[in-house]
Amino acid sequence: MTQSAKPVAPIWCPGCGDFSVLAAVKRAAANVGIPVYELVLVGGIGCSGSIHNFIEVNGLHALHGRLLAQAVGVKLSNPSLTVVAAGGDGDGYAIGMGHFMHAFKKNASILYIVMNNETYGLTKGQASPTSQIGFEGNVEPPFHAVLAALSIPAPNFIARTFSGDPKGMTAILEEALRFNREGRGFAFVEDLSPCVTYNDTYKLWREKVLDVSKLPDYDPTNRNTMFRLVYEALDQGRVPIGVMHRPKESGPNGLEQKLVGAHPGPAQADIGLSANLGAYQKLIGSLA
Amino acid sequence: MTTPATRSVPLVETTGPGESRPPMELADLSVMIGGQGGDGTLTVSDLLGRYFLRRGLYVYTSRNVLSRIRGGHADASVRASRDPIAAVKSQVDLLVAFDSEAAEMGRAELAPHGFIVYDSTTFHLDLPNSAGFPFATLVGGPLGQPIFKNTAAYGAVSVLLGFDAEMTREVIQERFRRRGGEALEKNLKALEIGRNAALEAGGMANRYSVAAGDAHDQILTTGNQAVALGFVVGGGRFFAGYPITPATEIMEYLQRYLPPLGGVVRQAEDELAAINMVIGASYAGARVLTSTSGPGLGLMTEGIGHAATAEVPVVVADCQRVGPSTGQPTRNEQSDLAHLAHLGHGDFPRFIVAPSTPEDCFELTIEALNLAERWRVPVILLLDQALCQNTATSRRFDLSKVEIDRGKRITAETAATLAHYKVYEFTDDGVSPFAPPGTPGLWSEVTGNEHDEWGHVSVNPANRVRQMKKRMEKMVKARDELPPARLFGPSDAKIGFLGFGGTSGPILEAMRLMEKRGIPTRYFQARTLYPVPVHELDPFLKSVEVAYVVEQNYSGQFARLIREALPWHYEKLRSVLKYDGYPFRAPQILAEVRELANAFRAPPILPDGPEVVDG
Repeated sequence: MTQSAKPVAPIWCPGCGDFSVLAAVKRAAANVGIPVYELVLVGGIGCSGSIHNFIEVNGLHALHGRLLAQAVGVKLSNPSLTVVAAGGDGDGYAIGMGHFMHAFKKNASILYIVMNNETYGLTKGQASPTSQIGFEGNVEPPFHAVLAALSIPAPNFIARTFSGDPKGMTAILEEALRFNREGRGFAFVEDLSPCVTYNDTYKLWREKVLDVSKLPDYDPTNRNTMFRLVYEALDQGRVPIGVMHRPKESGPNGLEQKLVGAHPGPAQADIGLSANLGAYQKLIGSLA
Repeated sequence: MTTPATRSVPLVETTGPGESRPPMELADLSVMIGGQGGDGTLTVSDLLGRYFLRRGLYVYTSRNVLSRIRGGHADASVRASRDPIAAVKSQVDLLVAFDSEAAEMGRAELAPHGFIVYDSTTFHLDLPNSAGFPFATLVGGPLGQPIFKNTAAYGAVSVLLGFDAEMTREVIQERFRRRGGEALEKNLKALEIGRNAALEAGGMANRYSVAAGDAHDQILTTGNQAVALGFVVGGGRFFAGYPITPATEIMEYLQRYLPPLGGVVRQAEDELAAINMVIGASYAGARVLTSTSGPGLGLMTEGIGHAATAEVPVVVADCQRVGPSTGQPTRNEQSDLAHLAHLGHGDFPRFIVAPSTPEDCFELTIEALNLAERWRVPVILLLDQALCQNTATSRRFDLSKVEIDRGKRITAETAATLAHYKVYEFTDDGVSPFAPPGTPGLWSEVTGNEHDEWGHVSVNPANRVRQMKKRMEKMVKARDELPPARLFGPSDAKIGFLGFGGTSGPILEAMRLMEKRGIPTRYFQARTLYPVPVHELDPFLKSVEVAYVVEQNYSGQFARLIREALPWHYEKLRSVLKYDGYPFRAPQILAEVRELANAFRAPPILPDGPEVVDG
């Protein structure tokens, strides 16, 4: 057996919420039965983006904010791969915001995990797009990724988890991975992952989390309902978690399914001259 | 159809000589067509180009449009010659004007023997050697729309230039066949209306003639189309880009070519996404391309550095336009070179290659794909607006010469034989074997962080030095595999030219003009610009007494790179620069050379005298 790169020890502080994500990703991938060599983990920049170094996987460490663009490129190039992008709230919602919103629209069958700690931990605790008003002098209202995600009418899987509930997170990541592997489209999971050093929200979140699936009106196939439930929870000072959108559509709606169809994908295509000679001669012959 | 007798407008307004006269034979003909954006000037130049191509002539068409969808002055020109040409002629022989502004602007460039054909529907010219036909009115009645006036003008021009009637029709059929039925029918009718008007006017037929040439089996295409075809044939299967003039056509062609072959083309949300999507797709194992122009290149810069450090092969086509900032989107310049040579933060390798003709674009795109994968280095395909969008005759692309080199790629078969897989393994040539994700039994860490051989983040100083050398020395080790320069002119000539890309056409034409005056010159057409090909430049610069570096920018970017790499030749270099947005014309190069030679008190190489015009 060929020796490949071995995982290294995490750089995270003891107690960091990202440990729960690492454990849940490993367990979910194993439960779904994805061979290591077919799993690609695209990391962003920040504490959370280094996750691919701590697990046996094909790791691709992207530029700050660009992990979704690279992950979509990987998936469209070889649709048989299982592609997970993982990064933080600064990476995804500040510098990477353009790609974040377009990812829902594109609907490529990849899983995007944002470890939201409401701060820039690696650069030592500045306010991030999700910081509450008053944190480190922040005067801007926090960005709410689930509300933004629900606003785009595409058949995406949308969920929110909490690092204090690793079992619930594993179940949701498993569902997301299966959703991707069926070619149904984009899966977005925001994990509430406290930064124990600069913004320790464990206690607050433990008290305030609200599993939306327990609410009487819960219907994850209905965006209107879910938007209202999330908004009402926020208004009551609660922190909503759970599956926020589970599309009714069950077909292969993933972008890669529409583009590549029956072909094996750009990475697997036979690009030899002899295999394509007829097509090439026709193209060149069409010139005046 | 109304008969000429009942028309309310005069059929022809001509102040030129009406009597029959022998045609004026031209070896090199230039036709300019001007009007408002939307008048169809480009269609007329395209039709004329197709006709001349059938006559075995070398053809070059150029366009001068504004960055707006409709309206504003627009003109196109087509040149046909028995000699190979790839530049705009200095003077216009025949001007076709759809409005008075086009007539005014075109007159400034008209040769003394030139003639103006204009649409007299809206204006009148009181000039000798002009003829007005109410094209819009003539077609508007029978065809219901005045838009066919451009095809009628093509018909009138075909009479003036003594075109073969059947071949003139075939060109219309070829051009409009794809649009089919009604469009083809109406254009054929418009052609006849235009031809009849010119024939009935008298004195119009055969005013000029161009003898058929022997340039057969040529094609007429643009650099952008050639790049797209090169990408497909070179095995490229993934493209991501963002619309930007003058690069957009590469994406548009690929949207047509790639999907049937199982390839993917994505219009990204911005250039940041485009470069990062191609990085992801290349990492997964596809051959990739993105294309852009100055403003997009700025956004892609961080990504190109990332690709070089992570050692993920990418090819970036930079279709240069006038910069900086939004600059002049539809105009020509070669001013991204300094940025590209010094691209990005930190030190990293890159290859910059520059084709000069459509055929060269086709071949160098394939070469760029091979180099990128063979060396796992970003390759910049450096183009300029004139090369990208002007059409030129080119030899038919040769598929038998195409080779695909995927470098040290680990396949499913070879993977099983490996004891270990280190994605950044140190090797003699600095290139590590690579296994795309999905290769059974192997995985890796690919990163833009400094890393050790396994791809693990590393701050070890000794490892940092080794990895830097591994990457940077590729630029030295690849030297003999990079595209060689092309040399033109006698090897004992003492006057040299240096240039690249779209200036090659005007330089070669200037050399012919100088040769006619008994002054031999040499030309070094650089096809690898970075790393600067010192081993090629040194013997060339030794062989000449003075070298004129002809380029389209303000600061002499190419000359500066050469001086930096070969400081011992500093004194021999003279910059011939143009940055007004228009490509060089051969006589302009001659005039500059004469002035520079005098300014530097070099021996006079061209006598002072009247302005040089085409021979």
